[in-house]
This record gives sequence, C-alpha cells and structure tokens, in this order.
Amino acid sequence: MTIPRPRGGWAPLAAVVVILAVLPVVGVSERWLLYIFLFFVYLSIANMWNLLCGYSGLVCLCLPAFIGLGGYTLVIGTWVGLPTPLGIIAGALVAAGFALLISIPVFRLKGIYFAIGTLVVPEALKYVFFLWRPVGGALQGGGAGYVLKSTDGFSTTDIYWLALVIGFASVFLMRFILSSKLGSGLAAIRDNERTAAICGIDVFRLKLSSFIIAALVTGIAGTIFYLRQAYIEPASSFSIMWTMMAIVSVIIGGLRTEAGPMFGAMIVVFLQFLLSRYAGYSLIIQGIILIGAMLAAPQGIMGFMGKTRSYRSLLQWVRGR
Amino acid sequence: MSQETLLNVSMIDVFHGSLQALWNVSLTIKAGEIVALIGTNSSGKSTLLDTISNLIHPAKGSIEFEGKSITTLEPYETVALGISQVPEGRGIFPDITVLDNLIIGSYNRKARAKREHSLKMVYGLFPRLKERKDQLGNTLSGGEQQMLAIGRGLMSAPKLMLLDEMSLGLAPLVVNYLYEALRGISGRGITIFFVEQNVRRSLAEAERAYILEGGRVVLSGPVAELREEEKVRKAYFGI
Amino acid sequence: MTDLADLATPIVMGVLLGGLYALIAMGLSLVFGVMKLINVAHGDLVLFSSYFAYAAMALLGIDPILSLLMGMPLLFAIGFVIQKYLMKRAFGISMEAPLLIAFGISLILQNVQQLTWSPMARGLTPAYALESFSMGPFRFPLAYLLDFIAALVVTFSLREFLRRTYLGKAIHAASQDKRTALLMGINTGRVYAFAFAIAMATAAISGVFLGLTFPFTPTSGVSFLILAFGVVIIGGLGSMVGTFIGGMILGLAQTLGGYFVSATAQMLILYIIVLVVLAVRPQGLFGRKERT
Repeated sequence: MTIPRPRGGWAPLAAVVVILAVLPVVGVSERWLLYIFLFFVYLSIANMWNLLCGYSGLVCLCLPAFIGLGGYTLVIGTWVGLPTPLGIIAGALVAAGFALLISIPVFRLKGIYFAIGTLVVPEALKYVFFLWRPVGGALQGGGAGYVLKSTDGFSTTDIYWLALVIGFASVFLMRFILSSKLGSGLAAIRDNERTAAICGIDVFRLKLSSFIIAALVTGIAGTIFYLRQAYIEPASSFSIMWTMMAIVSVIIGGLRTEAGPMFGAMIVVFLQFLLSRYAGYSLIIQGIILIGAMLAAPQGIMGFMGKTRSYRSLLQWVRGR
Repeated sequence: MSQETLLNVSMIDVFHGSLQALWNVSLTIKAGEIVALIGTNSSGKSTLLDTISNLIHPAKGSIEFEGKSITTLEPYETVALGISQVPEGRGIFPDITVLDNLIIGSYNRKARAKREHSLKMVYGLFPRLKERKDQLGNTLSGGEQQMLAIGRGLMSAPKLMLLDEMSLGLAPLVVNYLYEALRGISGRGITIFFVEQNVRRSLAEAERAYILEGGRVVLSGPVAELREEEKVRKAYFGI
Repeated sequence: MTDLADLATPIVMGVLLGGLYALIAMGLSLVFGVMKLINVAHGDLVLFSSYFAYAAMALLGIDPILSLLMGMPLLFAIGFVIQKYLMKRAFGISMEAPLLIAFGISLILQNVQQLTWSPMARGLTPAYALESFSMGPFRFPLAYLLDFIAALVVTFSLREFLRRTYLGKAIHAASQDKRTALLMGINTGRVYAFAFAIAMATAAISGVFLGLTFPFTPTSGVSFLILAFGVVIIGGLGSMVGTFIGGMILGLAQTLGGYFVSATAQMLILYIIVLVVLAVRPQGLFGRKERT
C-alpha cells in the first residue's frame, strides 16, 4: 500500500499547504478566508461527485442528503452535549450509515431511475426535518432550524484548517482510490459492466464502496460547513443547490479527471466572490457555462488541456525529465 | 428494351466505428430487375443494405439513385426518393394495428397522397392483411408479420425495394407465397434487391446476383452463369 | 356513517387534485416515453408558465387561462429549440449529458425567476380561482374541478393526437424502434423536437392550472418534478391514460395519507411512495416493460 506520490514531488505541495494554513494567522481578511474555506468544502464535495458520476458510473443526486445529515448530526450533537470532534465523526458515520441504508432500495435502480431515486432522497429528508424536532422546542421562532449551541472551543481559524484538511484529504483520497484495486475495478465496470461482472468483479460491492466513501467525505464536509455557519435548517441543507455546485464544478473542470474538480470549484467560488452582491446572477452564469461546457467541451478544462501539446510537455518538465 | 440504371453503388468502403465492414464494393441495379445479394452471415450484407438506405454513410465511394448522388442524404430523404427497406427481423410495431403499421409506411409526403392506392395494392397481394387489419402487430404469425413488413415497405411508394432476409424462420410454403408476391411486386415495375440466406432460392428467384464475402464482392453476374461457376457450385452446393 | 362521509372529502379532493398532477406529468410522460429522457428541468419549465401567466395578469390584466393563447406557443417554441439544439446534441455526447444539460436549464430558470419575482410565493388569483362549488353537502375549491377537467381534456386530446395523426403515429413509432422509424421515412430528429414541443405546450397548460390551485415559488420546481416522475412511473411510461390514472392514484395517496396519517406529512408520504414504486416496479402499472 504505497502512498501516492504527487507530481513534482512533495515540496511544492507542502509549500502550498503551509501558505494556505498560515493565511489566517498573518491577518488575511475574513472575506478571503471565507472564500478559501468555501473552496475547500466545495472541492471535497465535488471530488466525491466526480468519484460517483465520473468514475463509478453512478449519476448520484443525493449528496445533499449526506451534507444535511452531517450538519444536523453535528448541530444536534452540540445540544446533547456531544463534543465537536465527536460530532464531526458522528456526522460522517450517520451519513455513511444512511448511505448504506438507502443503498438497499436505490441500488436496484439503473440509469435514469437511479438518478431520480437519489433526487427524491434529500427532498424527502427535507420534509422529515421540517417536521421532526429531535431536541428541544422552539428555537428560532418555531422554525425547523437549529442554532449551533457551542463550537466547543473551535475558533473560526480552527474551522478553516478543518476545511483545508478535508479538501486536501479528498484530493489524496481520489488519487489513492484511482491507483488502487478499487480504481481499476471501477474502470472495468465503466468500460463494460457485464464483462466486468463475468470476470469476477463484484460490481455491487465496488459501487457501494464508492457510495459509502462519498457519503463519509461529504458528511464530514457538511459538518465542517455547518460548524462554521453555526445555523442549519432543512431547506438549504438538503437543497439541490449543493448538487448543482458539484455538477457545475466537475463538468467545467473536467469529468473523470483528477484536477478537474479543483479548477471547477475554483471557478464556482470565484464567480460567487465576484458577484457576491448578485448571488442569483452567478448561478445563472454557472448554468450557462454548464450547458456550454457540456456541448462544446464535455471533457472540461482538464480534459481539453490534457490533449494540448504544451500542457503535456509542461507535465514532463515537472516530472523532471 | 434498354433498362435504365436505377442504383449505382461505386467503390464504397463502410465502417462500423473503427471496424471496416465493406471494402471497395460496387454494384449496379437496373430498373425493373430482381437482383439477389448472397453471402454468409458476417459478409456485410445487412451493412450494404443499410448503407444504401443511408442508415450508415460510406467513408469512401458514392451511391447514385436515378442518376443523382444520394451518398450523404438522411435516411428519411432516401425513403422519400423511392428506396424502401424491409429490414431483417421485420421490425413491425407490435402494439399498433396492422392498418396503423401500414399507414406509418406511407409517412413520407409523396406516399401519403397515394395511400389509398397503395393500400389497395397491398391488400390485393396479401388478402390476409386485410382480414387482420384491426389486429395488433404482435398477434400475427411470423409469415403474416413478414407480409406486413413487405406491405409496409410498399406503402412508401418505392421504386426500389430492399429486402433483408425475408425468409428467415419461415416455413417453405410461406416462403413460396412471399416470393410469389415479390414477383407480383416486380411485375408492377418495382425494382427488387434482396438478401437471402438460401442460395438455391436466391438463384431461382433472381435474374442477377452479387456474392459478398468478407465485405467484398467476389462474384457477380446473371444467375445462369453463376450456377455454372465452379466456385459457387463448390462453396454453396458442395459439388 | 360519519366515517364514510368524512372520507368523501379526501377522496374527492384526491381525485380532483390527481387531475392537476396528471396534467403536470403529461409532458414528462410524453418525453420520457418517446426519448427515454427525464427532463429534470420539467418542474421549472412548468413554473415558467406559471410565472408567465402571472406576468400577463399582473402587467396586462389578462386572465391566466386566456394567457395560454400566448403561453402555449411560447413554450412550444422553447421546447422545440431545447430538443433540437441542446438535447439532440447531448444524446450524441454521453448518456449523462442530457440530464446535466437539463440541470443547467433548471439552474438558469430557477435563478432567473428568483431574480425577477423574488422568492416570495405567488399565485394566480382571478376571481373564479377562489370560488368553491358544492357537491351534495360538501364544498370543494373550484380550481380543483377546473384542474380535473383540464386534465381530462388534455389526456384525451393527446391520446387521440398520438393515435390518429401522422405526426402522432410517427412519434409513437420513433419511440418504439428508432431504426425502423427511420426506414419508414420518418425524420426522427424533427419528430423528437415536435414531441418535446408538445410536451412543453402541455407543461404550459399545467403551469397555469397549478398557479390557480397552489401558490408557487421559484424553487418549487424540484417537488413538481418528483411528483410528475412519481405519476409517470406509477401510471406507466408513455401511456397518456396511464399517466392520468397515475395522477389520480398519487392525488388520492396524498389526501388519504394526509387524512389517515398526518396532514403535514403529506408530501413526505408521497415521496416515500415514489421511492417504493421505483424500487418495486419501475415500469409502472400500465407501462410496457423496457426492452433491455
């Protein structure tokens, strides 16, 4: 089990990590930190969607379910005295457990039925949480929202670092999966599912593995996001907008590429930053770019660049040849 | 009696994706002829018919119909010009009636105007279809489905009819009946180009034939000559 | 006796409401049946019609149903364009492409509508929309009855169109067997575009009646999509009458569920039913089994 070696060695990567980590300490503005925070949260979710749709052939629209469940577990946890670190772990486990549970009915579905089936799940959860008050009575005017009771001593900077962790972890996780047996199994399934099954690949188990991994990572991303936001309510936590963010990021950046989600998330966050006063417009632009990308450049930025010669020679130079 | 060249296929190469299916295939069909296409299973017969119908386009070469190039046309334009294919496996629509199946055959504008006339001709050739005209497609027997497929092909008012493996899975008596109908169709001036597994049958019904092997035309000519051909006798009749 | 009388209300409401659901689902059913495409932007396109009717009423004082004279052709054209220039190309790109493009459309529509009309709930409220009618000792909202009548009209119009006209037959043929349809001289590309356009015209109608019945917001689209999808799978793909009945069933499920279980959990019950039906019998009660 070898640790995947990043292109160009560890040094540049370590430098980037250190710089990012140090930013809050050197007094970079809150606003910038927020966008970097969002980038890493979005990145981890986008990577997972790429894993599911790009690499495992599962057009999954239920990521908001995991995000919301992670968030709710954390927030409710603070109300029942669960310390935040445990809250994060619990959030991940609840999301993964839920994924396991719904995999039973949902994995029987194929193609478009699977997509719509997964679409229904977060919507159903939205209603569940509208109606269900797990702890306490009225909070914010009797709505279904919950305030985070305490961050357990986690400062905004700590939360920022958590986002860095999950973001980078998701990238490494992708690299690790793709170069592992799971990765080659998934590639075989993508190529021809029936043949893969005949060759002895346990298609169901591999797909389920991707699904659970995605639930775990997305669940953690959810806990971290709501840890910072300190307030959760059903409509936005289970909202389809999370899915849309993931789709836009991955498609623009390049489906089925490793660096794609990074570029895509960067663009998404950049648009949000640019049009922060006009939130609706940034989303409209994202929608247009999504359609344009699908028609004109379905391989996304990374896919497109991977084909250009200058990029390939750059890669070779970085690899030190 | 000089016959006009109706269809002229000229040196076509056809690919399925990256696999080549036809190499340098050429053939000519004159108006009013009955021509057979003979060959083993994977020789490319269906591919050739599909290319003429423009379901596939050749990578190289050209196809001309009535003197005009049709190589890059869409399938529906090809039908409108007068080329009709009765596909392998019949392809009738199972959950609509016989009559509706026939009507859909006359979809293209030119054929619509002639619909009643075409229907009369089809019922004349296949009275069974008239009897069953309100029955659903999937309630017909194999032979009746083939009749329906042929009838449907006629509804498009074609000048050239392509038939792909008409006799597949049918009893000899039924096949006889179908070929008799085919002769009737030819008698009405419609040119026929058919693919037939049974070589004896092909050579009995056609005037000329092309033999396709491995995607290439290996032999062609009037049927009488082909029967004498050493190769044909050895390969197909085992003599 | 009180039990039966009590039940009468949810049953009648369910059936009438089912009309609205069937109406909304009709377009989705047609598109799914013909092109095996689930237009995830369907709900948002229905809402587009609702907002269009709202604009006509608020800015020009035109009655919503009358505004369909403009709304239907508009949505017909939009549908034609979407299929011909977006979806057709998407089919050639990958299996997921049409879905993702529909997502893009949904994203754009939701936000355009949010920007134009704010997230505030709107409704189409001409005088008659607030009336009720009586049946025996009971009173029901008139809007529900209008929904039901509209659903009947649309269902049977569509069915006759598909059965009797050349275009309708061509749509059916192309949905069954594209290759053979091509051999029949059918321009499948154009036929698909027309099918989508007709579906959108139907969506236009459903948008207006939806607005007359319920308040709507820019983000209601997803719930209507799921609802419509539920109707389609229960009623069967591509069968207009099946979709109608599917609507009834779902409408009844909602009102009876609300009656027996909990009024607030109505939508949740619906969603669970959709998931269950999906898992158990994806081709619906009336649909044909998909040829693998």
